[in-house]
Amino acid sequence: MVKVIKTERRVLKFMPSFFKDRKPKKKPQMDDENQSTDYPIELIQVSLSDNLNIIKQKTGNSSDVVIREIKMGINFDIKAAIVYVEGIVDNQAIQEFLLQSIMKDDHKEVINPHNALELLSEDMMTIGNISSITNFGDMFASLMAGDTLILVDGVNRALSASTKGGEKRSIVESTTQMVVRGPKGAFTESLGTNTAMVRRIIKTPDLWRESLKVGRVTKTDVTFMYIHGIANDKVVKEIRQRLQRIDIDSILESGYIEQLIEDQTFTPFPTMYNTERPDVVAGNLLEGRIAIFVDGTPFVLIAPAVFMQFFQSAEDYYARFDIATSIRLLRILMFMISLIAPATYVAVTTFHQEMVPTTLIVAIAAQRESVPFPAFVEALLMELTFEILREAGIRLPKAIGSAVSIVGALVIGQAAVQASIVSPAMVIIVSITAIASFATPSFDMAISARLIRFLFMIGAATFGFYGIILCLLMMVVHLCGLRSFGIPYMAPFAPFIPVNNGDTIVRLPWWTLRQRPRLITANTVREGTNQYPHPPASRGMVNRDLEEGDNNEA
Amino acid sequence: MMSMTFLLTSCWSKKELTDLAIVAAMGVDKTKDGRYHLTLQIINPGNVAGGMVGGGGTQSPPVTIYSASGDNLVEASRRASGRISRRLYYAHTNLVVVGEKMAREEGLNTLIDAFDRDPEFRNTSTLVIANHSTAADLVKTLTPVDKIPANKVLKTLEFTERKWGENVKTSLQEVMKSLESPGRGTVVSGFRLVGNPQQAQKLDNLQESEPEATLRASGIAVLKQGKLVDWLYGKPARGTVWILDKIQGTDINIDWEGRKEVIAYQTVRQKTSVSAQVKNGKPHISVHTRVEGDISEMEVPVDITNPKVITKIEQSVRKEIKKELRKAIERAQKNKTDILGFGEVVHRTRPNQFKKLKTEWNDVYFPKLDVDITVEAYVRRAGLRNKSFLSGVKENQK
Repeated sequence: MVKVIKTERRVLKFMPSFFKDRKPKKKPQMDDENQSTDYPIELIQVSLSDNLNIIKQKTGNSSDVVIREIKMGINFDIKAAIVYVEGIVDNQAIQEFLLQSIMKDDHKEVINPHNALELLSEDMMTIGNISSITNFGDMFASLMAGDTLILVDGVNRALSASTKGGEKRSIVESTTQMVVRGPKGAFTESLGTNTAMVRRIIKTPDLWRESLKVGRVTKTDVTFMYIHGIANDKVVKEIRQRLQRIDIDSILESGYIEQLIEDQTFTPFPTMYNTERPDVVAGNLLEGRIAIFVDGTPFVLIAPAVFMQFFQSAEDYYARFDIATSIRLLRILMFMISLIAPATYVAVTTFHQEMVPTTLIVAIAAQRESVPFPAFVEALLMELTFEILREAGIRLPKAIGSAVSIVGALVIGQAAVQASIVSPAMVIIVSITAIASFATPSFDMAISARLIRFLFMIGAATFGFYGIILCLLMMVVHLCGLRSFGIPYMAPFAPFIPVNNGDTIVRLPWWTLRQRPRLITANTVREGTNQYPHPPASRGMVNRDLEEGDNNEA
Repeated sequence: MMSMTFLLTSCWSKKELTDLAIVAAMGVDKTKDGRYHLTLQIINPGNVAGGMVGGGGTQSPPVTIYSASGDNLVEASRRASGRISRRLYYAHTNLVVVGEKMAREEGLNTLIDAFDRDPEFRNTSTLVIANHSTAADLVKTLTPVDKIPANKVLKTLEFTERKWGENVKTSLQEVMKSLESPGRGTVVSGFRLVGNPQQAQKLDNLQESEPEATLRASGIAVLKQGKLVDWLYGKPARGTVWILDKIQGTDINIDWEGRKEVIAYQTVRQKTSVSAQVKNGKPHISVHTRVEGDISEMEVPVDITNPKVITKIEQSVRKEIKKELRKAIERAQKNKTDILGFGEVVHRTRPNQFKKLKTEWNDVYFPKLDVDITVEAYVRRAGLRNKSFLSGVKENQK
């Protein structure tokens, strides 16, 4: 695959003139293909009925586009219309702040077609955000985003009132990243709610937010947040550029964005972190990272990401450091198990029988005696079975899911062993591997480990331990070569930054973590000096109590 | 193309577990026509590891014996493949047994090369000389409790060395080292088949609560220039182990008020050091040992609350140990074999002078060696009782 792509690139390099000639021709063609998503830059007409006709025609008379015609003025001679899309607007707001104030207004005497819009926006409409629109392009954009349009006959402008609303999922507990201690609320599908949740945590005006619409058809709101002064401006600029470069019809989830802006596609490792927890986003923003919110998904992207980040859980920072450190060490161990446990088993049983104690090798040999397959095939079979079961278990409705797990337990556990298709030792290895891979906090990292595991198994089956070491070396070299928005993926190990190592595989007490990650942030000072907690009084024996005791006795 | 070469290597050193014949022990004998006779104890994995896989397959023995002869060990081993359905795998061979006849007549020197050269074979495997039997008979014996006979031999040696001290566990490596060392005799652990060799091979033997034929650690083989010259049993054996500083715990009986061996003294820790001096070209050795232990049994009424009694007991222990060490040294001198490593000590302290002594060390200097023995013995604890039970009985009867 890689070779093919390389050769294509080479071809492109060698024949630039040929492609340059064709490029300009191609572009307009592509736009034509793209149906009628690009609105003509057409100005709003003077006549209300014309405008309404255009709206109707453009929306294909869709039944959820509500056009309400009203009359204003002392003689009811000023025709106006209110246009909104049902379901995505806040009905109550339209009712109370638009219709009521327009219809029961006290300006009937002074209103005329010329000052109608000014009066409406300045005096009559009691709604927060109002803008004036002159062309159809902007008009449709705001209409489809949930705003309400007010058009007045004889005026070639329209008012857009922000009435975004409609049904929203309420904030519930996180389902993908659960903690014992820490805030429970998770992001929802609504972008406004999500950014608000972060703002509620970080109350500084330096928390800056930039928005843009991505997706030619979906016009999805994409927002990125960073703390000015802590985030690195170069990275912010890079993210802005990469987001602006996206030209795709739809953005349905933050995964689209991730795949379109990540540094390297051909790697099993994720180079952007995603979370649905506001406290995790806040923590990362405070380390100088940038969060990308996408409307319609609770998963927020965080960039730049480093390798160690995927082994850290929000709880590490809430728990005391000794516990957090030991749990992190455990996670690293589990990652290694999920990566090389089956490979090690294969290598040991086919190449390095001398490395196991005699009694154990005899026990394994006894189990393998009746198994017809080579160890590698056996391991592959079991791993595949497990992957199938896992996949089936995830997608199925809960009611059937339990049935699958029962069948799975029987197939993997009991029956396969009794039928002499696999050995009990292999079942243990596969189960340990499975549990270990579930214990990695980040699903993205766990699943990439699951993928590489097969590579390791092939390495082990062909070269034994030598093959495993070879694969490990390749993996480490690859990891060191990765970048996430210009930041080395293996930082702070490679390049080695001693100060930042306090928050990697170990988590030192908070008072020692005086610096933010140096490569990521523009401002490394996190806390003041001398944060070591000092108890106020000496811990020596207090004599006064003793004396008092003597007095009482007397 | 580059990646293709990786795939083309295939799996040349791959060996599936089900294709391996795990050799647990190996016996080497000499046939009448001077060829090597190899006896291989191969584990039947299904019969060793119980559990549900075997399904109660205890009807067949846990090990199978194959044997082959050849002009050298490698030839014999290769020839054996004609009888075994699997590839012989020596990496788990923890026991090498050499027949007494072979050890006496040819010695071990010729065997070592094959063991050391083979990359699969472990240098840490234990070397044992079959006492009064052929290696084949020893290897063929089935044992209870520890299903793999090789394991039984190893564990017996390990625990008896630790608890009783009349045997040593010698690895191939240690034997190689002492064979190479100038002017040094070698000790090798001995093992013996007690009972009928024919009965020992049968599974019926294990059906009895007291098997007729069993394996037993027995004696220490004394090797001079690789050849077996003497067997040490009992006190000289323990004295030898003691001087070699390998005693971990043993039991010493002392006499008390005319009654023989009535107080048992159990050693807890001991340290023996050997030092050498050379006076007027004559080497002089002093052995110092310091031992701490408990009183573990008293068959006479003794009041050990009295410190003077304790001192007296300590003195008797010293005398007893000294006697034992003396016996061991005398026996070694009689054999004209320096199994105690005195030569090495002289070599270390006076390297230049030892060069002159080296060639005739075993035959001339060692037998006439002056050895000083000093023993320090202490009683540290007396178990859960103070006075002897007997002294209580005696008082009540008054």
